[in-house]
Amino acid sequence: MTTKTPDGKIINQQEKIYMPIPQQFGRGDKMGRGPYEKSGLLKDTSLPPLRTVKETFSIPLYKESKKDGKLARTIISNDITVEVELWYLPYGKKDDEGNSQMWQKVTKKLSIAKGGK
Amino acid sequence: MKFVKVLVILILVGFALTAFAAAPAGKKAKTIDELVKMYDSSSCKDCHAEIYAEWEKSLHARSIFGPAEVGRTAATLKTTVENGHKDWPYSGVKKPEDMKVEHLMVCASCHLPQLAEAEDSVAQEIMKNVYAFKETDDAAAMKLQSLNINCLVCHQRNAIVHKWVDGYPEKNVVYGFKNGEHPSPDFPKMKQSKIMGESILCGQCHGQGPNFAQDNPTQCATLYGSYNFAYIPEGERETCQECHIKKSKLGHNMQSYRSPEMAKMALDMHVYAEAFQWRDVATTTPAATVIVELKNKAGHAIPDG
Ligand code: HEC
Ligand code: HEC
Ligand code: HEC
Ligand code: HEC
Repeated sequence: MTTKTPDGKIINQQEKIYMPIPQQFGRGDKMGRGPYEKSGLLKDTSLPPLRTVKETFSIPLYKESKKDGKLARTIISNDITVEVELWYLPYGKKDDEGNSQMWQKVTKKLSIAKGGK
Repeated sequence: MKFVKVLVILILVGFALTAFAAAPAGKKAKTIDELVKMYDSSSCKDCHAEIYAEWEKSLHARSIFGPAEVGRTAATLKTTVENGHKDWPYSGVKKPEDMKVEHLMVCASCHLPQLAEAEDSVAQEIMKNVYAFKETDDAAAMKLQSLNINCLVCHQRNAIVHKWVDGYPEKNVVYGFKNGEHPSPDFPKMKQSKIMGESILCGQCHGQGPNFAQDNPTQCATLYGSYNFAYIPEGERETCQECHIKKSKLGHNMQSYRSPEMAKMALDMHVYAEAFQWRDVATTTPAATVIVELKNKAGHAIPDG
């Protein structure tokens, strides 16, 4: 998920990985990568069938500074674009033509009201 | 007495014939070409042209080579020897030439189950081609692609899982849904496989976890485990065939994440986003919240294999 200002500057980037994490030779705390060394699972963050997984991302839109000893938060941009992309990465990287696939992309424009108290 | 004697001779003749008939089935392939010939499916093309063309596009048609051109599966076979067998003190493998059928079986039990009917010379020939294969070396790439999960693997060799219940697969038979005559000279009979429409047919290769039947278990895929223990408990019962062959309309071109059809079937994504100003006494905090909802509509976890 990438948040940009109207001129394209990236102000926030977050990602969440969904995958079964196999154990190396069924022992210890290390992940096994090649099929020849995988046995068992250490953890599983893959998307389970027919369940809805809900992810909440918080994006701060301010810079922090101290003014006269007081905390101030100044807005970075009143208008932002949030791009949510869902990728399938069979070998773990995006830059992998013919293998990595972008399945979905949703773009949302958001704005923070100007003025007021 | 004469009668008995004749009977004895007949029985003996009978035995001799059976022994002769059984011998070719037990003979093991010595070369890749011999193994290819033992499961030669090229004749199926003459009458099942459409199915054949679909199958050719699937990964089953390149099961020890992998996705076209990339050769990712072949590359993984090499890593298996380099980072696996050669590294393991008790594997008996010090160099690629030491690879026997038993060693290659950690992958081949699913990627090329018919390797069980080959001699160690075939395992060595496969490794030779795996090491020779570079993007430019077409000969080695073609050799590796001649070995695959073809029509006769699913419609004969692996068409019966419970062999004490249903019998052992026969060499002159193609297994499908029906019993009857089959107009192919080498395969004159058609018999029913009780599992052709069942998930277990696919499950025998698509994984439940570590393969404990081996001296050094491997775990490539866990998908059939996920199907049984996560999908079925949701109250659904669609089979692998219903989604991958029928609903996808891809037929024998069984596909996954690379195909737009499957990607569309895979999940629903909804994004809810809002921006707001939160206030802690005098400090305003401009922020945004994005909620992403993902619903996996497949019959197993995503990703898996
Ligand atoms: C000469 C033509 C011909 C050749 C060659 C041929 N088939 Fe068939 N096959 C047919 C016909 C026709 C049927 C339908 C028979 C029927 O329904 O009575 C059939 C039926 C089948 C079925 C059963 C389908 C069902 O509904 O149960 C399977 C499986 C099958 N073939 C597989 C193969 C395989 C594998 C090969 C190659 C080893 C092959 N066939 C070669 C003509 C052929
Ligand atoms: C990965 C396993 C697999 C492979 C490889 C495979 N099949 Fe099939 N085939 C199936 C399954 C499963 C079905 C039943 C599909 C269903 O439930 O309708 C089937 C159905 C069929 C049928 C009957 C239904 C129809 O669509 O007419 C024929 C004929 C057939 N296959 C021929 C072939 C031929 C020829 C090849 C090789 C080019 C081949 N199959 C390769 C698994 C396989
Ligand atoms: C004899 C073992 C075997 C059987 C039986 C089998 N498969 Fe496969 N299947 C494989 C292997 C091995 C691969 C991966 C090949 C590769 O990556 O090089 C594969 C690949 C696939 C893929 C593509 C996965 C990807 O990464 O794109 C799908 C989808 C698939 N199989 C579905 C099925 C279905 C559905 C059935 C049953 C009708 C089935 N398979 C039966 C061994 C098998
Ligand atoms: C309800 C429909 C459905 C059922 C049932 C189903 N699948 Fe799938 N399968 C999908 C979809 C959609 C995808 C694409 C998502 C993906 O690639 O992860 C997929 C992906 C796959 C993949 C590639 C997985 C990966 O992440 O690399 C394989 C292999 C596979 N299925 C095999 C099977 C087998 C074997 C069965 C039966 C045990 C089965 N599927 C049952 C819908 C289904």
